Amino acid sequence: MAVARDSTSSTRFAQFKLVLLGESAVGKSSLVLRFVKDQFDDYRESTIGAAFLTQTIALDESTTIKFEIWDTAGQERYKSLAPMYYRNANCAVVVYDITQAASLDKAKSWVKELQRQANENIIIALAGNKLDLDGKRQVETAAAEAYASESGLLFFETSAKSGENVTELFTAIAKRLPLETASSRQRTAPKGVDLSRPNRRAPAASNNGCTC
Amino acid sequence: MASASSSKVPAASPNTPPDSCDVLVYGTGLVESIVAAALAWQGTNVLHLDPNPFYGGLWASLNLEELKAWTDKINSPATNDTPFSNAYLYISRNLDPRKYAIDISPHVLFTRADLLNLLIQSRVSRYLEFKPLGSFHTFEQDSFEKVPGTKEDIFTSQNLTLLTKRSLMRFMKFVVIWDETPDVWLEYKGKPISLFLKEKFNLDEPQIVELVHSIALLSSPSSPTELALDRIKRYLSSMQVYGNFPAMYSMYGSGGEIAQGFCRSAAVAGAVYRLGTKLSSFDDESGVAVLDNGEKIKVTEKLITSYGLLPSSREITRMVAVVEKDCKEWFAEGESAAIVVFPPETLDGNKYAVQALVLGSGSGQVPLGQAVWYLSTQESGEQGRKDLFLALEKMEESILRESTEDFEFDVSEEDIAYLPNGMPVVSSVRLGESLRNFTPKESLKYLLKLTYTQKVTVPPPQPGSKTIYVPAPSIDIVYDGVVTRAQAIYEGVTGTTEDFFEVDFEDEDDDATATGNPPDTSIGDVADIDDEELGDHPDFDEEVAGEMTI
Repeated sequence: MAVARDSTSSTRFAQFKLVLLGESAVGKSSLVLRFVKDQFDDYRESTIGAAFLTQTIALDESTTIKFEIWDTAGQERYKSLAPMYYRNANCAVVVYDITQAASLDKAKSWVKELQRQANENIIIALAGNKLDLDGKRQVETAAAEAYASESGLLFFETSAKSGENVTELFTAIAKRLPLETASSRQRTAPKGVDLSRPNRRAPAASNNGCTC
Repeated sequence: MASASSSKVPAASPNTPPDSCDVLVYGTGLVESIVAAALAWQGTNVLHLDPNPFYGGLWASLNLEELKAWTDKINSPATNDTPFSNAYLYISRNLDPRKYAIDISPHVLFTRADLLNLLIQSRVSRYLEFKPLGSFHTFEQDSFEKVPGTKEDIFTSQNLTLLTKRSLMRFMKFVVIWDETPDVWLEYKGKPISLFLKEKFNLDEPQIVELVHSIALLSSPSSPTELALDRIKRYLSSMQVYGNFPAMYSMYGSGGEIAQGFCRSAAVAGAVYRLGTKLSSFDDESGVAVLDNGEKIKVTEKLITSYGLLPSSREITRMVAVVEKDCKEWFAEGESAAIVVFPPETLDGNKYAVQALVLGSGSGQVPLGQAVWYLSTQESGEQGRKDLFLALEKMEESILRESTEDFEFDVSEEDIAYLPNGMPVVSSVRLGESLRNFTPKESLKYLLKLTYTQKVTVPPPQPGSKTIYVPAPSIDIVYDGVVTRAQAIYEGVTGTTEDFFEVDFEDEDDDATATGNPPDTSIGDVADIDDEELGDHPDFDEEVAGEMTI
């Protein structure tokens, strides 16, 4: 997480790590793909390709939030998520499929896992995905909402396919993030070495100066 | 960003375990994890298992609960597939187990290391955070001396004679081009480095000790000249790459943390991950692997395993201590790490150097106000433990002396040297001498102490045709050889190393800014001063790191 203020104007820029959790095939990656690229792919089989995705949203005229979004890369399938995944996550979206009752139980166990593994003050949102398949619904909105409110989670029913509530979900998370404490913590904890910035006098440590 | 060419990556369908794979990787240590990621990005269908419930295998960093289970396991007579043994663990009560990450094979990364290049090239570095390690100390005559690793240090040093400074400068000038000037060292190639330094450069014992043990981080003065020169050059050329420090360490744990990064990269490229899954058997002829739950998997190409290695007679002894002290006295400003080396014959006749890596809370391995000390020696058995306990005692005395608040140190004029630009420098030697006579009032509280033995292992003499063994972590504190080993294994599977991590990332990342505007360094300016005093080497290359490539 990082917060910076542009000295010439009063714009504030903050970066937060967001992790996705939930059973396989509930649409975690699709939600992110909709949010980041406004795309949907019906035949998407499982998470492929991205190290992590980033998306920036303007909360208001003076505040910009950048999400660094970590997908599970399939490592949740056999409960093999690395501690690295949870580390320093500021917020999490726990996803279930409204057409699969069991997926909400799985979501609940992921919430427990987050409370065990992640930062104490992590913001958690529960997302009931596949709202476009309302006819096949197995999880009632009220039941999931009740669970979310008693557990202190944000709650949305979403459709990655139609895009319904996707931006709203991420915006609601952004509004809950602690911008002020973020900036003060930033000052006390120096960041690590920036590997993309070797000193001018030394040649780049990477091949052909690539900084990726 | 980084949505890599998704077309070539085979997607395993969710919920159904793969009943076949091209390559089964068993163990999530650093080397295996690099191989898994390289293969996955190349398009190989990889299944990656680990019998442990955590990542990292023999490289893991463990929280205290995991550490307890790990010590029980390696002490159990039933465990015969680990190079570790003989663990003694003490943990103070009321510690939050999850606030600790204890490395079982701690390592540090020089800024000129092939692993760092690979981390950047593969983008795995994006998952990690590296912190600077700039403080290297040598234990001499009962105090810790900062190693003069730069020309500035040599110049300002008060315990070096002009003659010694000159010899050192001459050696440093040579060593940055040692591989281009074989005539200087070839006759000493396999001979002890100490002999070479003495005969060829007329260096005295204290300088030889620092160069061999603290700068090259070698354990024995008889280490071969060729290896030692390579390591000394690496230290010097690693200075100023990212700042005023030659090495770094990854936060939250060393090799195990980096392994996690490579595993995540492999998963992103389609590799399937299952922790806590044992391989019950593997039939080398048919390639059928049986898991502990009875599941069968057909391996079409290779099994890459870090298990089944055989112990050799060599071993090293390790100790970990968590202390209730931040130990900032040993760190450079803004840093949270130091290396302290006890050369041979400084601890009641120790044959090998004892190395200690000290990490403060900035490492993410221990909570605020604490530090973790990792000590190791190539000495084995009872003698090894004795050497480590002696070193621990010295470190305890030293940190208590240096951190006591009511101790006032009067700096007298003779203790101060002035640089030509007028900047005063306090001699750390004098400081050390004065502190030596001071008796601290408090004692040091140990929150954790662990000693254990690590055997050097070798692969079985007759590996199966489908089986490739991964060597255990070396006993070195540096990551040397890791990338080379990973490449060799990769070649064993694919027949080439040409496309090793040649990934065409479809780059959409707006963060990947170009190499620009690095911070200014001032060290070169300060180092210009030596000519005046030292006279006869006017063009000593001020930028040791400057012209070098890897």
